[in-house]
This record gives sequence, structure tokens and C-alpha cells, in this order.
Amino acid sequence: MKNRLKALRADRDWTQAELADRLHVTRQTINAIEKGKYDPSLPLVFKIAALFGLPIEEIFSPDTD
Amino acid sequence: MTDTRTETSLQAGLKKSTFQLFLATGAWVGSTALMSFGPSAIWGFDVAVTFLAIAVNLTVGSFMLYSFFKHLKNMDELQRQTHLEAMALTLGITMVLTVIYGALPQAKVLASTQPANVLFVIGISYILSVIALWLWRTSE
Repeated sequence: MKNRLKALRADRDWTQAELADRLHVTRQTINAIEKGKYDPSLPLVFKIAALFGLPIEEIFSPDTD
Repeated sequence: MTDTRTETSLQAGLKKSTFQLFLATGAWVGSTALMSFGPSAIWGFDVAVTFLAIAVNLTVGSFMLYSFFKHLKNMDELQRQTHLEAMALTLGITMVLTVIYGALPQAKVLASTQPANVLFVIGISYILSVIALWLWRTSE
């Protein structure tokens, strides 16, 4: 699953640690999501969408291959 | 989505459950030692006392299991996923290596096998799997 988390975070000038703090997860989780090494759970996806005020499909998209 | 923990409370919860798991594991190791060596060293093979030691070991073992589940629930979701995948890997590795180990006496490579050695395979596989999966997912 691809995502725009890094770009959205950069737009707001947040560090990975700051975003992690807002989402109540560890910084390593944010790093793994941004690098595409971990697909977040549905509850976390909803939290991310709510935090950025965007629909889920504008942040996450399925891998086409 | 009722999770309102901050990262600080996430870490505090994890620290608390880690300590509880440490105590439970220590108690289990102690009760296992008592169950194993008690009959010969302390109570002279009294069957009733041995059954009591087994009951204590089962109770403490159940508490250790409960503590582990609690610890797992306190983890951040990436940590939890890493541990669950490590457990799956450990199960597979242990199954394959145990079958090979069990076949060695039949092939006259070993005189006999010790079931306790399987515990080492479980422990080592689990630790290495957690480290490898965590490093792979969190490498910068």
C-alpha cells in the first residue's frame, strides 16, 4: 500500500516523532509506514485521516502491481 | 478508536508490563527448578508434594502467559506485529528443526535426544526473528 504520509507531514513541518505523538504510536511505526514497510491497522488509518482532515483514499492507495 | 494514550503513557504501560512479565518469568523459572530438583533434593520423592509443586508450576506458568498477553496488548501496533510474525517464524523453524533433531538418534548420529533442547531452539529463533524483523522494518 502506497501513502503520502511523508509529504503531508512535511507540509505541516512535523517531525516523525511529533506525528507519532499525535497518533499515539512510536516514531518507528511512522518511519515504517512512510517507507512502505508496514501497512497500518484500520483504526490507525482512520486516525491519520482525521488528523490530516483528508479522506483515506487521498492518503493511502493500493499497490497497482 | 478510544485509544487516548500518549507516547509517554504508551512507554510507561510497556515498562510496567515488561516488569510484570520479568517477575512472572522469574517466578516460573524458580517454580520449574523446584519442580525438577525438589523431589530429589528437598522432599525425598514424596508424590503428594511433587503434585503440589506441579500445581504451583502450572499456576505460575498461567500467570506468565497472562502477563505476556498483557505485554503484547500494551505494545505499539508495529511492535505487536513484529512479535506476532516472530512467533509464526519460530513455530515454523521449531517444527522443521525438531523433526530433524528427532530423526538423529534413528540415523545413529546422536545417542539420544533431550526434549529440553527444543526450548533453546524456540528461545533463540524467537529472539533472532524479533531482532531481524524489527531492524528490517525500522531501518532508516
